[in-house]
Amino acid sequence: MSRIVVPGELLADKPIRMEAGFIEGNNTYSTLLGIYHEEKGVLVPLEGLWYPQRGDIVIGIVEEARLNAYNIELNSPYKGIIIAKFVETRLQRGDVIEAEVKEIDETKTVVLMRPKKLFGGKIFDVKPSKIPRIIGKQNTMVDQIRNGTKSVIMVGMNGRVWLKGGNVALATEAVLKIVEEAHTTGLTERIKALLGPQSQPQQGV
Amino acid sequence: MGGAGEMNATGNIPELIVNGKRLDGRAFDEMRPIKIVAGGLKNAAGSAYIEWGNNKILAAVYGPKEALPKHTQDPEKAVIKCRYSMAPFSSLEEHGRSGPNRRAIEISKVTREVFENVIIREDFPGSEIDIYVEVLQSDGGTRAAGITTAAVALATSGIPMTDLPYAVSVGKTGEHLILDLNKAEDNYSDADMPVAIGPRNDSILLLQMDGTLTKEEVMRGMSMIKKAGQTITKLQKEALRAPYESIMDRYK
Repeated sequence: MSRIVVPGELLADKPIRMEAGFIEGNNTYSTLLGIYHEEKGVLVPLEGLWYPQRGDIVIGIVEEARLNAYNIELNSPYKGIIIAKFVETRLQRGDVIEAEVKEIDETKTVVLMRPKKLFGGKIFDVKPSKIPRIIGKQNTMVDQIRNGTKSVIMVGMNGRVWLKGGNVALATEAVLKIVEEAHTTGLTERIKALLGPQSQPQQGV
Repeated sequence: MGGAGEMNATGNIPELIVNGKRLDGRAFDEMRPIKIVAGGLKNAAGSAYIEWGNNKILAAVYGPKEALPKHTQDPEKAVIKCRYSMAPFSSLEEHGRSGPNRRAIEISKVTREVFENVIIREDFPGSEIDIYVEVLQSDGGTRAAGITTAAVALATSGIPMTDLPYAVSVGKTGEHLILDLNKAEDNYSDADMPVAIGPRNDSILLLQMDGTLTKEEVMRGMSMIKKAGQTITKLQKEALRAPYESIMDRYK
């Protein structure tokens, strides 16, 4: 059974370690507005912020180009940084990049690596808690959008989506629909209907 | 200090209890009707709106973001900045013509302290969380209603909290304890005690008092508040669930 829980609500009368939960005494409580799946012991946040983890793919905007490093804006309270010597071409303020989180240092600065500059396109912010749904299990949802709209789509774990080429308007509509209905079941089917038959992967390719 | 009846002899103070009922027909332990709406402001990270009797209050949350100016940063945890303000048109008296006044600064401070105790601030070192409480129409008890609204706004913003606080006031007129004072009762009663509570473990997050109450009256008032709190908490939860449930119902 799953139910919507609010911050401070009792999840279980035994200590269970889980994301977005906290243990006090012998009880586990929620810290967020989310959906709690009782049998699995999993709390899926409906509203939540991005907590950087090593390996996360993010989309950032170059905020400042310094001599030996770049400051990257990540749509989060955490500051991003790229060491300049690991960047092949010089970046400029305002450039949009896709990068991978290398580490989070002791001041909670997010050190990024393998930046890839994104040219043109359209960028917009969504709630970070909806990003896993936009990507889908084994990339199913994002592949569906890619096939259905022929757009290039990049999804950053920090709550940013970048779109270019193809039917950008339809792709935006699909992403916004996923964000709005992320907590419902059967969403993949509805996105499939929205995008049309070409959204399915072709046989034998 | 005399009771309301005694003061009434001067002819200036209204009678607050008539035929065993309060001025607006409520029982002593009855709250005003409450309506909470979660969300609504697109630019804010989280927002909520409340109609608590004649009070109409909007709360918005921004952040966490880098704390500026930099000297306000705390390298270990987020700082919380809170602004309570009354719109110039919110009250029968004058408000907001010349920036924050003594009262607004005080309420901003106590509201901030309520949320400093429930937000998990250690997750966001060096950042700030802004809470804005805007009173559009006031009728007594706005600090309690503001805290109740801001709690819902924070929950919609996804900022982790250990609790969802609520607040309500209790007061005394004559020998009667009354719950959730409106403006007339606030101005002319013998005592007024707004209390904010974290319902998870009934921790007291705010306790202020105007006038005098005996120890026994305070204890009785607290139990009235906790009883009312069950209703407020239920309304807060319903408000938070409603937008999601309406979408879920669409595809049932």
